[in-house]
Amino acid sequence: MSLETEEVHARDHEAFLEEVHSFEFWFQSVEGYLSHHPYGVDPETPLPELEDAERASLIASLSTYCVGEAAALDGASGMIAFAPNHAAKIFLATQVADEARHLEVMLHRLAELGVDDARATFEARAHPSLIAFRDRLLEFVAARDWEASVFAQNVILESMEFAAFHSHMQTADPRTSQILSGVLKDERRHMGFGENDLGRHLAHSPGAHERLREIKHELDPLVLATFEESLDAIGLPRGERPEVGRLYLETVARLGFDT
Amino acid sequence: MTDPLIDGSEFDPATAADAEPAQRSPSPRPRARFTLDDDTGFNEVPKKYRRFYRRYRGEGDELAPNEVLCPVCKVVIRSSRELRVGDRVYCMPCMSRLTIVRGDAGRLEAKVEY
Repeated sequence: MSLETEEVHARDHEAFLEEVHSFEFWFQSVEGYLSHHPYGVDPETPLPELEDAERASLIASLSTYCVGEAAALDGASGMIAFAPNHAAKIFLATQVADEARHLEVMLHRLAELGVDDARATFEARAHPSLIAFRDRLLEFVAARDWEASVFAQNVILESMEFAAFHSHMQTADPRTSQILSGVLKDERRHMGFGENDLGRHLAHSPGAHERLREIKHELDPLVLATFEESLDAIGLPRGERPEVGRLYLETVARLGFDT
Repeated sequence: MTDPLIDGSEFDPATAADAEPAQRSPSPRPRARFTLDDDTGFNEVPKKYRRFYRRYRGEGDELAPNEVLCPVCKVVIRSSRELRVGDRVYCMPCMSRLTIVRGDAGRLEAKVEY
C-alpha cells in the first residue's frame, strides 16, 4: 500500500486542499460513477411507461431543475473571473463541467419524455421563486461579489438541490433516479466547497457575517417557496418536508447563521 | 488536533507530556486497528482513496469505532485505526477537514474545522 493511501487523514491541510480542488482529483472521481453511463444512465435501463399525470409532474420538476443547473452553470463560470485564488478557479472550472453535464442529462431526459425543444421551453415551466432566486444570484456574480455569490450558489442553491434530488430519487422512475443519483454525487463537492470556502472566509472577515445574514434573510422566502413548489411537484407528504430542509438549516447553522 | 494514524500514546490527552500526573492513565488502551476493504462500493473519489469512505445507510446504520459520519455530505469516513476525541479526519467527497468530538448523545461525531 502506498504512503499516499495509507495516510489520507494524516495529510497537511494545504496539501489536502490542493489535491481535492484539482482537475485530476475531479477527473478520477467522476470516472467512478459516470463511465459507461451515457446521459447519466446505465444503457440497460429501459424507458419506463409513465401515467400522464406522473409524466407531467416529472416534466415540471425537471424543468425547474434545469433552471437551477443553468443558473449554477452561469454562476460558476462567471465566478472563475474573480475567484480569490488558483485552487478556487480550478475547482469552479470542474463545477462548470458538472453543471453543463447536469443540464444536458436533464434536457435529454425531457426529450425522452416527449418534450419538444426542451432547451427553449424549460424556463417557462419552472417555478417562479427559483427564477427569482437565480436572478438575484446572477446579480451577485455580475457585481463580482465573491462572498455573496458563494453563499447564494454553493451554500444555498447547492444544498437545496442536494436535498430535493435526494428526496426525489427515492420515488422517481429508474432512469430519472439514476440521473439524479449521479448529479447528487457532484453536488457533494459543490456544497462542500461552498461551506468550507465561506467558513474560511468568515473567519477572517468579521464584517461579512452580518452582511450575509441580511442576504440570507432576503433569500430565505425564495428558498422556502422553491422547496415547497419542488416538493409539491414530486408529491412528498408535508410531514416529511422538514427532514428535506434540514440539510440546508444545518449547513447555515454551522456557518453561524440563525435558523 | 491529532491524527488517528499516529500512535495513540503520542496524543492521548490523558497521557500527554503536559498533563497533570494525576490525570495520566497508567496504561492507555491501545487503539484498535482495522483493515479497510478495498471496495466499499463507494465510487465518488479516486480509486486509491475509496477504502476510506462508504455510503451511509440511514438511521439504523451503526458506525464502527473507526468510522464517523460527515455532517456536511453524510458520507461515512473511515480510518485504519479506532477514532478518538481530538483526531482529525478528512472528507474527500465534500473537501472538509473535521475533528472528532464527543456529541451530546455520548457518541463520537465529526465537527467541521474550516
